[in-house]
Amino acid sequence: MLPKLKPIAIKERISLLFLEKGELDVLDGAFVLVDKNGVRTHIPIGSVACLMLEPGSRVSHAAAALAARVGCLLIWVGEAGVRLYSAGQPGGARSDRLLYQAKLALDEGLRLKVVRRMYEFRFDDDIPPGSNVEQLRGMEGARVKKMYELMAKRYGIEWKGRRYDSREWGSGDIANRCLSSATACLYGVTEAGVLAAGYAPAIGFVHTGKPLSFVYDIADLFKFETVVPVAFSIAAQHPKDPEGMVRRACRDAFRETKLLKNIIPTIEEILAAGGISLPKAAPDALQPAIPEERGIGDAGHRN
Amino acid sequence: MLVIVTENAPPGLRGRLAVWMLEIRAGVYVGDFSVKVREMVWENVKKGLGEGNAVMVWRAQNEAGYDFVTLGDNRRVPVDMDGIKLVSFLPNG
Repeated sequence: MLPKLKPIAIKERISLLFLEKGELDVLDGAFVLVDKNGVRTHIPIGSVACLMLEPGSRVSHAAAALAARVGCLLIWVGEAGVRLYSAGQPGGARSDRLLYQAKLALDEGLRLKVVRRMYEFRFDDDIPPGSNVEQLRGMEGARVKKMYELMAKRYGIEWKGRRYDSREWGSGDIANRCLSSATACLYGVTEAGVLAAGYAPAIGFVHTGKPLSFVYDIADLFKFETVVPVAFSIAAQHPKDPEGMVRRACRDAFRETKLLKNIIPTIEEILAAGGISLPKAAPDALQPAIPEERGIGDAGHRN
Repeated sequence: MLVIVTENAPPGLRGRLAVWMLEIRAGVYVGDFSVKVREMVWENVKKGLGEGNAVMVWRAQNEAGYDFVTLGDNRRVPVDMDGIKLVSFLPNG
């Protein structure tokens, strides 16, 4: 008998894989894409952080179950990586982390500490003492606007600001389309990272009220060193297939910046700014009757 | 790290590969060389493969961590999925 399947750590994986056209199924225990001609392509699902399923793909029950078992996040995406729906539950299995995150978000003082640390991280240096979140947000907004302008200038692109309609793909200029496509890649990987570490995507600090608020918070920390330069440099080339090129270039950027290695430690570092420790189980709480298995995946992965 | 797997290769090529690499299983060769030597070895495979087929894989600075090339006909063919190389298995006939 083969040993039980377990997730491996996010940092040891390929960031993203986009699949279109075909039936995803399990054959002899392996995850396969079968096209209408019967051609089988094995997908090494256990070594992928996030699988992006494009229109034209179908997923069997067994395939979804296998993806969950090995901790690969499945995201159904529309044209050019605009997210339609996402499922799969590779993480979120650590109540201590969920409670820790919720406590930090619920206590206004602790939340401000975390928000402040997020802005410090993005500014790459210390921010003026005593500045409140409103001021920080204003500073960050101005900085982001300036960075877009600088980057557009560097790549010789006409830039009229970040404009897009999330419901209608193809709206906006080429730079904005590349940016939407590139950020979709970053959000997918970030969500996989957040779930793998055992946190809740919806409990955000700067962002709030959306199913992926925390994902946007964390993705923003990496956006300008990874996907924004990628999007502008691709847009400047006026390619025939901007989305495809953006995906390839994003993957290179993720590898070069060691995104998958850094993402979970960064989440921990940001949350640690609150200065509280993970909650301990209440003394009267029942410990699990079945002892916890040791996995080789990240702390929040189900085993 | 460099691995070459051959199928149906002429004895001449198998002997030649064994000059530089260790044949750890029938038709499976392993070694560790520079890019220059890797290309030289693959040139030998190209010239000596005959009706056979071969694949060469080595460590590379990409997300997968390795890259590979193939020669000759095989039911397994490399496919590119937005920059990630996977393998498709063709049905019979």
